[in-house]
Amino acid sequence: MATVKAASVVTRQVRPILSLTQEDSRRRVLALYKAWYRQIPHIVSEIDIPKNQKQCQEKLREEFLKHKDVKDIRVIDMLIIKGQMELKETVTKWKQVGHVMAYWKDTVNKKPTDFLGKFLDGKD
Amino acid sequence: MASNILRKLSCSLKNVGLSGSRVYQGLSVAPSVLSRCLSSEASAGAESRPTVRQHDAVAREQISDFGRYVAECLPKYVQKVQMTGTDELEVLIAPEGVVPVLTFLKDHHNAQFASLADIGGVDVPTRMYRFEVVYNLLSLRYNTRIRVKTYTDELTPIDSVNEVYKAANWYEREIWDMFGVFFADHPDLRRILTDYGFEGHPFRKDFPLSGYVEVRYDDAKKRVVVEPLELAQEFRRFELNSPWEQFPNFRDTSVIEDATTPAAEKK
Repeated sequence: MATVKAASVVTRQVRPILSLTQEDSRRRVLALYKAWYRQIPHIVSEIDIPKNQKQCQEKLREEFLKHKDVKDIRVIDMLIIKGQMELKETVTKWKQVGHVMAYWKDTVNKKPTDFLGKFLDGKD
Repeated sequence: MASNILRKLSCSLKNVGLSGSRVYQGLSVAPSVLSRCLSSEASAGAESRPTVRQHDAVAREQISDFGRYVAECLPKYVQKVQMTGTDELEVLIAPEGVVPVLTFLKDHHNAQFASLADIGGVDVPTRMYRFEVVYNLLSLRYNTRIRVKTYTDELTPIDSVNEVYKAANWYEREIWDMFGVFFADHPDLRRILTDYGFEGHPFRKDFPLSGYVEVRYDDAKKRVVVEPLELAQEFRRFELNSPWEQFPNFRDTSVIEDATTPAAEKK
């Protein structure tokens, strides 16, 4: 009885967002990656950011690899939708320089990891 | 004089509207939400204190009749019909029934809720489906309001009602932006209130009050920069009841009343 109940909890019927299979979502992710990749030259020339194409491509790769361990199809779909929206915001120049540069976080100081650094930082 | 004629006219209109629809077994006629031509005369009584809200018994009866009629017409989608303490009708529906129920309420002759006043959201993290999406409708024809509630979670999409009410476009964008509820088939779903590049959904209960980032102008970089923010915040417990007990006599009484059984049967 308990196992039946547990099984029904594990295999809950859910409504898909975009993709029905793993392969389907994989294709969408690659399509989004390519769309971003192809827009990078335009983004670099249109928006006045102190980055070149190579750096943008590295950042793009990094942003995608951040979610490489996500396995749930619906979570992947949600990330794809948000990525698509970000892409549109970027290429239509709704984002300004500050918004685009926020991907690099270049003013954020790295948190100290060693003992002395933490001590001098005065936290923890 | 003119008001008398109007009143007669609207009463006769009501009769015309009702005569065609004597189909449903539980109720001999399809109740309309129209009530105003009778109720003003019938409800002189009970509550005399000026600071307490007057209950309009006839209007309440009629609107809960209508709620029962909706439940009978759409048994597949309507899960519960209830009346609030302030005589408002709430219809609780399954998430797949948003479009059919709202289409019914908009186009049915005896309802005509042609105006979508607002779409709201509620986040209750302890529930299995943590988000409530609330549609507030207004019937200009019958001067009545109704509230349709449904539920979802972070990953389950809800059908967009943009095809039924054009007003839903921005409201659904707002819900998407604030709660992260995805609306399927929305023509233009994108952020509406938050800044570009903003991460997270601020109206979720697990979103910290201070946010995750702070924004400032950097003089060296000559642009606005976004930096992570660390502020200690106490663990928040959400109790939906008021922390101040205002009416100890009513501690265990709920003002929400199930409208599926008629008032006559209850007595």
